[in-house]
Amino acid sequence: MRRLLASVVACTLLATTVAPALAQAPAPAPAHPGTLEKISQSGTLVIGTRTGSPPFAYVNAKNEWVGFSIDLVEELVKPALEKKLGKPIKVEKKESTPPTRIPLLTSNAVDLIAGTMTDTRTRRDSVDFSITFFVTGAQFLVKKGSKIRGIKDIDGKRIAAQQGSTNARIIREKAPKAQLREFPDQPAAFQALLQGQVDAYTNDGIQLAGLKAKATNPAQWEIVGDFFSYEPYGMALRKNDADFRNMVNNGLMDGIESGKYFEIYDKWFGPKGELPYPMSAGVRTFMLYQAVPK
Amino acid sequence: MNYTFNWSVLWTGESGQWLLSGLIVTLELSGLAWLLAVALGIVSGALRTVKFRPFRAVATFYVEFFRNVPLLVWMFFWYFGAPPFLPGPIREWMFDHGLEFWAGVTALGVYSGARFSEVLRAGIQSIPRTQMEAAVASGLTTFQTYRYVILPVALRLIIPPGTNESLNLLKNSSVALTISVTELTFQTRQIETYTAKAIEALTAGTLIYLVLCVGVASIMSWVERRTAIPGLIAHGARRR
Repeated sequence: MRRLLASVVACTLLATTVAPALAQAPAPAPAHPGTLEKISQSGTLVIGTRTGSPPFAYVNAKNEWVGFSIDLVEELVKPALEKKLGKPIKVEKKESTPPTRIPLLTSNAVDLIAGTMTDTRTRRDSVDFSITFFVTGAQFLVKKGSKIRGIKDIDGKRIAAQQGSTNARIIREKAPKAQLREFPDQPAAFQALLQGQVDAYTNDGIQLAGLKAKATNPAQWEIVGDFFSYEPYGMALRKNDADFRNMVNNGLMDGIESGKYFEIYDKWFGPKGELPYPMSAGVRTFMLYQAVPK
Repeated sequence: MNYTFNWSVLWTGESGQWLLSGLIVTLELSGLAWLLAVALGIVSGALRTVKFRPFRAVATFYVEFFRNVPLLVWMFFWYFGAPPFLPGPIREWMFDHGLEFWAGVTALGVYSGARFSEVLRAGIQSIPRTQMEAAVASGLTTFQTYRYVILPVALRLIIPPGTNESLNLLKNSSVALTISVTELTFQTRQIETYTAKAIEALTAGTLIYLVLCVGVASIMSWVERRTAIPGLIAHGARRR
């Protein structure tokens, strides 16, 4: 017993001395070597992306890992990188989920998060973001004929959301009477909706549209409600690495300016795309205005 | 590592409250699952050592079926797979009253029970055959032999590996977050969502698990010493 007690004390002591030591460590200087140098040395840009979020990043019927966010990296960011570094590089994809993506980034396991990550002010305390590459907002996916028509109707109802998403947070704040059930990924949440475990599933409207399109019987489902949040998607990168961030932004801005960005958008969201979702005039203007002059 | 630590996120805002509620759910989940696991483990562990073949077969089936499928799959089974077999109104009532928690308790309890069962079987089989024979010779029925002679000794013998399984159970309870149980790991992720400070939140979770497990281990080691039968169990190098 005494020995055990001693080990508890030792552990606690260790924890209490190490934690403040870490806390008092001076704010780290900008990353050395920077991400650009790291990529130049390894010849690889490692991105963290999703496997189940069509059409942004998912594994398709042919077992290929594809999507809008991945195309933006492959066709806009990668060429800009190659031009800057003066040599060809490879893009390597790794799975990242909302709870893991910031740790993956800060631990250098990945260099860029290109999936469905919303740029928020809180997240900007931990990571930096590229310019916005997609704009959406949260809605609800329900069975056709459901009484839920928007965020006003969900008091007392069972609502599924994705763990670590901004939507779950907003539901908790704006509709505290709803019974929130948070699942780690989209397939589990959708399964819960399919079986009636929950009455509605909330996520960004565009992701619900992607889910609905991929469902066995899309006509059975309905996306309802006005956007109850604003979700601008950005690519996340390590904090205080302005050279790399500028490079990513330049790639995206060049794409917006040359029209390549809109071609990729049409490939996925155009009338013949994976998921028809025409870009509104407002969003188009916003995109164009994000590209600052050369 | 290019990361600015900010430990204050753990005690500002609602973080403390979340960690506390997560801790309570983890303890409830693990406690109930432990009771279920020990009960199932004692019954099936004992049945695996009896002479009557059908009992052995049932217990063996239970152990091999439940311990050889990943816990994650059992979580999904009890949450997604089992409810459709229930009648509509009952199902609806359960959906409204925390089905995920009970599915988690069942999954964890039944899975760990299969593992406890093997630990107990090892304990029973380490008792000399003569004890069993002496008990039967003195006129006890098989049930009485197990109840009054075999199990009291076997349960004492298996305290160290039993502690191991209990700690595993406690830590495995984090898998329940996949079916939306708001336990401790879930709450550390919640802090991450609100503050974008993952390392701090995970550290807090880690320390809580560590303290819980070391606590459980100390209690079990105290129980072990209190219940030891002098002369029956070799004490190694322990002080008297």
